[in-house]
Amino acid sequence: MSDSPTPVPRRNWLLRLLQWSIAASVAAIFYPVVRFLWPRPATVSGAAEVTAPFTVEELKARYARGEVPPPFNFDNKPCLVVLLPDGEIRAFNAICTHVACTVAFRLDKKDIFCNCHNGVYDLNGQPVSGPPPRPLQAYKVIRRRLPNGQEEIVVSRTA
Amino acid sequence: MSHAPLESALPAMPPGSRWKTFLDERLGLDALAQLAEKKRVPVHRATVFYFLGGMALFLFGIQVVTGILLSLYYKPSPDQAFESVRAIMTEVEFGWLIRSIHSWSANLLIGVLYLHLLTTFIVRAYRRPREFTWITGLVLLALFLAFGFSGYLLPWNQLAFFATKVGTDIAGGVPLVGKYMLLLARSGEEVTGDTLARFYSLHVVILPLVTLAVLGVHLYLVQKHGMSIPHPVIRRYGGEEKVPSIPFVPHFLLRDMVGWYVALGLLAVLAALFPWELGVKADPFGSAPEAIRPEWYFLFMFATLEQTPSHVFGLENKQAVVLFFSLVGLVVLLVPFLDRAAAWGGPRRVLSFLATWAVCAFVVQTGVGLGLLDFHLGTSVATSGIAAVVLAAGYVAYCRFAGREQCS
Repeated sequence: MSDSPTPVPRRNWLLRLLQWSIAASVAAIFYPVVRFLWPRPATVSGAAEVTAPFTVEELKARYARGEVPPPFNFDNKPCLVVLLPDGEIRAFNAICTHVACTVAFRLDKKDIFCNCHNGVYDLNGQPVSGPPPRPLQAYKVIRRRLPNGQEEIVVSRTA
Repeated sequence: MSHAPLESALPAMPPGSRWKTFLDERLGLDALAQLAEKKRVPVHRATVFYFLGGMALFLFGIQVVTGILLSLYYKPSPDQAFESVRAIMTEVEFGWLIRSIHSWSANLLIGVLYLHLLTTFIVRAYRRPREFTWITGLVLLALFLAFGFSGYLLPWNQLAFFATKVGTDIAGGVPLVGKYMLLLARSGEEVTGDTLARFYSLHVVILPLVTLAVLGVHLYLVQKHGMSIPHPVIRRYGGEEKVPSIPFVPHFLLRDMVGWYVALGLLAVLAALFPWELGVKADPFGSAPEAIRPEWYFLFMFATLEQTPSHVFGLENKQAVVLFFSLVGLVVLLVPFLDRAAAWGGPRRVLSFLATWAVCAFVVQTGVGLGLLDFHLGTSVATSGIAAVVLAAGYVAYCRFAGREQCS
């Protein structure tokens, strides 16, 4: 008669089966939960180009009144349009390259400024001072003459 | 063997036990372990009833988890509620599964609670010193019915809209304060977006907080008093301490978990085969949809409301029905104090008969609510009364002739 128990293979097999069943059950519970938590595919598709909600003439008039129009939606991101003193128009992805606040054009200082952490860009979108590590993403701008004589601003991604 | 000095200083400790000591010193795990070791569950004919409370707790856990998941996509506004639930059902991966499990589990939970109440009544587990366990249990049942009622509106479909309109209107039938209760429940004269916001807050903030508090008291009382053993069982073994028992951890808990596992499987099957419907979006100026009826657990009240004439003893229909069910609720709440003989295991004839009648009436009225029985109120009362008499007579005859000593 021996006191030391010898391993019982059948019991081990049952234990292994139980362990795998528990693991499979846990997986079966967590899989749908994780898939549920995962974001849905975006329902709004990004546009290839967009027309600014103001014409060149309107932009000039607003600058003359000391107003700067806020960024508008292009490709689900804010798009900042700036009219330079020489009449050139530039467009940028207004998301600051530091930590993704939305920047603003400062009419008085002639620069692009991020209110969140005092990042400053010049009108080429290059970082001048403060924390931003990279230039702003620039967009392509096309001016299109309208029947009423004004020019509309069409922004598209640079190829 | 060349062990490091520290390890040789702790020869008796198996690996990992230093962590155990570290945690125990700081968290007092030993006290918890002792508590778990001490808890035992009696084994007898009615032991199966002990599983219902744990089952309700498990289903409540399912509700909490699936409810939190649904709240990640749900938007409580009349413009978006229906669309967001539709998106959960069609766009979000496994959204149909989570929502269907939430709805099915809610229904199973109410069913388990009804059974828990009934079995607790049958074995007289409410007797001294467990009166407050009974009362907190009934409060929990009321809270879960409120969960069911408030959650029903959230998808903002036509059925939900009218169920809420009718339900809150009935609350308006409460004498004196009814008018103010209605305004408070609806946040205005009509069911609007404000009502939806109010019900949402009730469903996901107010009721969960209150429920957790009351549930805490209920579970504390269950731990404090231990499991109640029915009188016939105590008599048969000649003393409460002589009744055989098993440890709660792990023996009873493992049996609990088998039940929970089966419940989870059942929920998955129900959700997959019968996904919960969404219906059509609520139109506040549309007519009530055909064959509109509440969830099964409210059907007995709905049927009674339909059968009751427009005026009873000078009271309006809904006032009389509200008054009647309030009185029934009050009697149920006071059962531990009405059953004077419970403490020594004496007979409980009147209450047992009334309860049998109530259960028969519940079944009959649910049948009426489903449209299976075409009964007037008097027919319902008589049918359930006769059924109760037959059941009671059958029970008495069974005890007399079978000579079961359990029948007191």
